[in-house]
Amino acid sequence: MSTPPGITIEKTGEQGAFGGEILTVNFGPHHPSTHGVLRLIVDLDGEQIRRIKPVIGYLHTGIEKQMEALRWQQGVVVTDRHDYLSPPINNLAYALAVEKLMGVEAPPRAQALRVIMSELTRLSSHLVWLGTSGLELGAMSMLMYCFRERDTILDMNEEISGFRMHTSYIRPGGVMADATPRFFEMLDAFVRAMPKHVDEYEDLLTMNPIWRSRTIGIGRLSPEDAKVLGATGPMIRGSGIPWDLRKTIPYSGYEKYDFEVATSNDCDCYGRYLVRIKEMREAVKILRQALDTLPDGPVNVDDRKMLPPPREELETSMEAVIHHFKLFTEGYSVPPGDVYVAVESGRGENGCYIVSDGTHKPRRVKFRSASFVNLQALERMALNHMVADMIAIIGTADTVLGDVDR
Amino acid sequence: MGLEDLADSMGKNFLTTTLGKVVGWGRGNSVWPAQFGLACCAIEMIATATASVDIARFGSEAMRASPRQADLMIVSGRVSQKMAPVLRTVYDQMPEPKWVISMGACASTGGVFNNYALLQGVDKIVPVDVYVPGCPPRPEDLLNALMILQERIKAQGITPRS
Amino acid sequence: MISENLIVEQGVSAGDPWVTVEAGAIRQALSALKADGYRLLVFLTCVDHLADASRQWPARYELVYQLRNLETGAQVRIRAFVDGDPPHLDSVQDMFPPANWDERETYDLFGVVFNDHPDLTRILMPDDWVGHPLRRDYPVGGEVVEFSQEHQTWQTTPEKA
Repeated sequence: MSTPPGITIEKTGEQGAFGGEILTVNFGPHHPSTHGVLRLIVDLDGEQIRRIKPVIGYLHTGIEKQMEALRWQQGVVVTDRHDYLSPPINNLAYALAVEKLMGVEAPPRAQALRVIMSELTRLSSHLVWLGTSGLELGAMSMLMYCFRERDTILDMNEEISGFRMHTSYIRPGGVMADATPRFFEMLDAFVRAMPKHVDEYEDLLTMNPIWRSRTIGIGRLSPEDAKVLGATGPMIRGSGIPWDLRKTIPYSGYEKYDFEVATSNDCDCYGRYLVRIKEMREAVKILRQALDTLPDGPVNVDDRKMLPPPREELETSMEAVIHHFKLFTEGYSVPPGDVYVAVESGRGENGCYIVSDGTHKPRRVKFRSASFVNLQALERMALNHMVADMIAIIGTADTVLGDVDR
Repeated sequence: MGLEDLADSMGKNFLTTTLGKVVGWGRGNSVWPAQFGLACCAIEMIATATASVDIARFGSEAMRASPRQADLMIVSGRVSQKMAPVLRTVYDQMPEPKWVISMGACASTGGVFNNYALLQGVDKIVPVDVYVPGCPPRPEDLLNALMILQERIKAQGITPRS
Repeated sequence: MISENLIVEQGVSAGDPWVTVEAGAIRQALSALKADGYRLLVFLTCVDHLADASRQWPARYELVYQLRNLETGAQVRIRAFVDGDPPHLDSVQDMFPPANWDERETYDLFGVVFNDHPDLTRILMPDDWVGHPLRRDYPVGGEVVEFSQEHQTWQTTPEKA
């Protein structure tokens, strides 16, 4: 396959500030520090950035088209894989949207388990961010420490669903299966140990002069800019605006838990770092509360038109056999209509907009991805900074290219 | 005179082997991957380099960013239509001898996604030595693949596959 | 709020309020809402209603805009129906900067042309790609899996007009 015509890079011919020419440099898509396959075309005047143009699409997977060809219950597997650092949160957005259209609500125990998985994933996603950001700015040991904790979280994922990363645990109608007693032991031990680990990370970085000089004043995004550019998540909370979907439009029982919204008035990379550290601490608080107040009961909605009957019933009841057959051959149908549900992921507002035409496959599934919108703020944040700061700025935006390209 | 007398005078300090085995031993124990992390499998590849599943003990500590200094390309993640020429260019930039591990279901066969946007397997554009199934494979799976590749490299001797 | 003469239809779907406006009046409607406090464009997308039997659709392509008020958290969905090959619509990226890439993506995947967009080029597919993949008459593609009837349906066009 020959190289496509691609983007024409014109040399501007402008003169730079010190008499030199503006140099156009291509970063990526194969680049160690761009957090995935992101290509940046950067106009440089010496070391200063005059213009940044992100080129995306190198990870376009056709997820939205793929979901139109799969049945409603099969689509859960594919939703895991677009924002691959927080799969249960993607599952949650899709499951809530389908349940809203079907008019059912998951039982309280399922909602609590969903909150537990979401917060564990938020921690895991922030740990990857902290580890890779530290690695790119030179703090290589951060990678080892953060991934050590992340491994504990992945072990818990494996205990509850069998998968380390792409759990497909949260499904329309409830969750895949109840959690084992061993899962609760592991979660209890983790919740006790995690605050000390976050203290370790703060010891290493927060007052570290190198970290501070590389992140303070870098990547400024004023609150007005953040609102105009549609940024969500730590990007807007790091500019002082306390916008968190878990508080403003609560879902899945979040209104029952007591936690603070992490904000920082610094508006720069350091502020966003502090926001994410605080979010990790709040996530541990929510996990403690969810574990202590976990209600008993079923983990799936009791609707045979949506979820298969237990296997023992198949031996005695004819309707159970018919339901089982219909569900596993054709799948359930969702009434016509459309709905949009947004959840708060580690990156910001991750939402799922589904359109149903009454059949057993969706008409359209659209994922509103936080990284797609946050990446558009890159140009505003990176202008007139040095090239080396660009790495810090891409890191602070915490974009996941799977989410951007879908 | 002769080699035997010379060897006897040095004591039992000689090993004899073939050049192929020495070269294979050297190449196999210091395989430097070119990080080609694309998607979710890349996170598990990073996890393979961390402390609990340490790939450095197998000689692959130095994950080079530049393909010119690497001899193994671990394709970890799904390869889209736009990325395919880039992947082939990076593969061409690697000097011989070079090997490819296709990590994960998407890189091996297209994985969960059978559609217009993805290459159904990276072996459509580069020759692959070891395929690792999984979505994503455990870090230990990748390590197993590396060990299989190491056995193969050691057995190849001086001239790897042409 | 949007003035009455622009509204074609309105309703509530699964708890989400929506309003249908004429395709030509989309800029007026969105600027009226923006003045009212709905300053965040959450997303912009297109739905292709080819061979959709669930109700009578005024046109094939439905453009959907979701707006949100950052102070109160209220949301509203605006729809506009367009037809044509390619369908044309006014761009709103000067009012809502997040729409810049959203409109490029909708052009890339559906072929909807937005008038007055500064850089309407493909964003996700390669630049020399032919066709608009998310239209319903574009096949899912991929490899045919032998002995599997379902995959054969995927490879051919899913619906004919």
